[in-house]
Amino acid sequence: MKKKGLALLMSLLFVSSALLSACGGKGAEKPSGGTGGAAGNEPFEITIRHTQVGESKKFRLALLNDVVSKTEAAVPGLKIKLDAVDSEVNRKEKLRGEMAAGKPPEVFDVFGSPDAGVYAKEGLMLDLTPILDELGIKDKFTTLDPFTHDGKIYGLPIGGSIEGIFYNKEYFEQKGLSVPKSLAELEQIAEAIKADGKIPFAQSSKDAWIPLMTTNNLWSYYAGPEVTYGFKTGETKWTDPKVVEGVKKHQEWVEKGYFKKGELGFEYADMRNQILSGEAIMMMDGSWANSVFRDPEQAGDMVGKIGYFNLPPVNAGDPVVVMQDANNGYGFSAEVANDPRKLQAVKEFIKNMWTDEMQLRGLKEDGVLPAMKMDLETMNSTSDDPLMQDIFKGVSEIGKSFPAFDALVQADVNTALSMGIQQVIGGELDAQKMLENVQAAQEAANATEE
Amino acid sequence: MNKALRNPLIYILFVLPAFILFLAFFIYPIYTAIDNSFTSWNGISKDVKYIGFDNYATAMSDVAFWKSVKNNVYFILFSCLVQVPLIVIFSLLIANVKRLKGLYKTAVFAPSIMSTAVIGILWGFIYNPDFGLMNQLLGLFGVEPIYWLSDKNWAMLSILITNAWQWTGFYIVMVLAAIISIPKELDEAAAIDGATGWQRAMKITLPLVMPIISVVIMLSIAGAMKAADIILVMTKGGPAGSTDVMATYMIRYAITSFKHGFGNSIAVLIFVFTMIITALYQVLIARRNERIEY
Repeated sequence: MKKKGLALLMSLLFVSSALLSACGGKGAEKPSGGTGGAAGNEPFEITIRHTQVGESKKFRLALLNDVVSKTEAAVPGLKIKLDAVDSEVNRKEKLRGEMAAGKPPEVFDVFGSPDAGVYAKEGLMLDLTPILDELGIKDKFTTLDPFTHDGKIYGLPIGGSIEGIFYNKEYFEQKGLSVPKSLAELEQIAEAIKADGKIPFAQSSKDAWIPLMTTNNLWSYYAGPEVTYGFKTGETKWTDPKVVEGVKKHQEWVEKGYFKKGELGFEYADMRNQILSGEAIMMMDGSWANSVFRDPEQAGDMVGKIGYFNLPPVNAGDPVVVMQDANNGYGFSAEVANDPRKLQAVKEFIKNMWTDEMQLRGLKEDGVLPAMKMDLETMNSTSDDPLMQDIFKGVSEIGKSFPAFDALVQADVNTALSMGIQQVIGGELDAQKMLENVQAAQEAANATEE
Repeated sequence: MNKALRNPLIYILFVLPAFILFLAFFIYPIYTAIDNSFTSWNGISKDVKYIGFDNYATAMSDVAFWKSVKNNVYFILFSCLVQVPLIVIFSLLIANVKRLKGLYKTAVFAPSIMSTAVIGILWGFIYNPDFGLMNQLLGLFGVEPIYWLSDKNWAMLSILITNAWQWTGFYIVMVLAAIISIPKELDEAAAIDGATGWQRAMKITLPLVMPIISVVIMLSIAGAMKAADIILVMTKGGPAGSTDVMATYMIRYAITSFKHGFGNSIAVLIFVFTMIITALYQVLIARRNERIEY
């Protein structure tokens, strides 16, 4: 009887403790330091979720560490905890999970579009508009479009980029080729390269965003960069003849054999290797690729032999239209607004992070273009590397810039377009039919939003 | 203690912890997946809107979804019609070798202990159109380079071969264990009666290992239905969705687009389809092979 009672008691204890531990959590959180701003120097902590993981991001991490030190020094009692997570894991899993639970870190790495828009819509992100007004830096950014939703700013880009053509300068010099002024000239160069037995453009299309850089820039030239803004509102259509013309041009390049056969199976790194090995001569990519071509470990003896120019306009002399984007940066938890000390810490973080000094450091150490407006002379002074000088020149030549299409259309449309461009490259569909499918996806997405 | 266990209350209390874990980590997730599948939830919002069977209707009317189902069927057919016969043949061969049996066992098992990411990259080199082993070998016979992972006509087959290479060894070891456990006397008696090696394999060994082969087929079907990692590593569902299976369709069309409600409906469909196929297999085929009597 005694044994039976003991067994019963033990089992009961085990089950109840399991139940209690399962039910725990809610209401057990510590109150964060200070609520009325009167808490003085009492220690409090904020977490910064960043994605500066690995050797390639060491400069960016050092920059963040400096900002953290400055911020901690400026806010009494503040302790900043750095939480490093791989970018993809943070974007697709960790941050989403935290957002679903309504508990994101105070400061976190975030993509402007569509991510910040979704989180902001749920009231999970801090509206930075008044803070930027207070700090007087609202108009200092090249673009805040990806982070702006319903007229409010929910995040700040850490760096910017442009898309253009990297090319083998040595080959151009040997063959007497010069930087093209129009698309027709570019095509002539491509024909000459092809006739020489080389691949005109390196391109890896396993990930659809890579060939879409070319497509996006081409339809922006033919239909004007404004056209992309109208897809979501229904003012413009993917099937507009000028958009079709732009995408058809990409299709034409594929059919003419300007890209390596089998590109649908190549990884991103493969196209850089095609340039570095001399197999291909030109490559459409983001300005961020400069880090590969300037690094002797990756580029070997090709360092100094790669140049950059903007994709030329359809007609020589027309304004140069370039994708200029800044979609990745930091966002802040809406909860911060309820705690004056955390709000102060966030303001201080913004004040220290988005300065000319930090932007120039990013440019100098990492080759990341500034997200904040900066004159050409200042940029030129940071690096005398010929490739960087070419990129700075590219920035200075921009007549009209536009954000990447995925910042302006819904995720479903991006999926349809990604699928479509691979079908065009694979010869399954022509540009017209592909864009009809994209338009159908666009209309479905617009209807859902309504 | 036996006496204590006869008391229903104590019995229940002992079962309860495991039952709670089972509820929390199996039943509850399935319930929430089914519940979410009837919503247009974006995975973040507190405001969850029920939309009935709309998600299922969307999936059922989407050509891309059925294309992904078809690819799952290819996975199953390749497993059952190509992989399983190879497993049986290699198991019989290895069981009968006299020397270096351990080496063969280790060699065939090795791929199954490698991570899928490593295998994907390794086979990416093998399939490389310029310098890959496959094209080099085929080139010896004058075959033009094949764009294994870039051509939609070859990409699925390339993945199936890689997936088979990864898992065949694991199943071979299972079947081998069953073959080795068959009493030697049976084989010897048949040999004395004049049965040839082929006859002994077909009439003695094979019937006796059928239950294990049946398990292998079941596991292959389940593996084929949940396949995703090898596809993500090798082709990411491409080119142009031609290698998408249901799981990668779910990632491409739902999860990355903040459509968790739709994603859950695909997950439920994977679950339901897997249940139907395995149930059919159990009822129509596997039950006939359940009993062995030596």
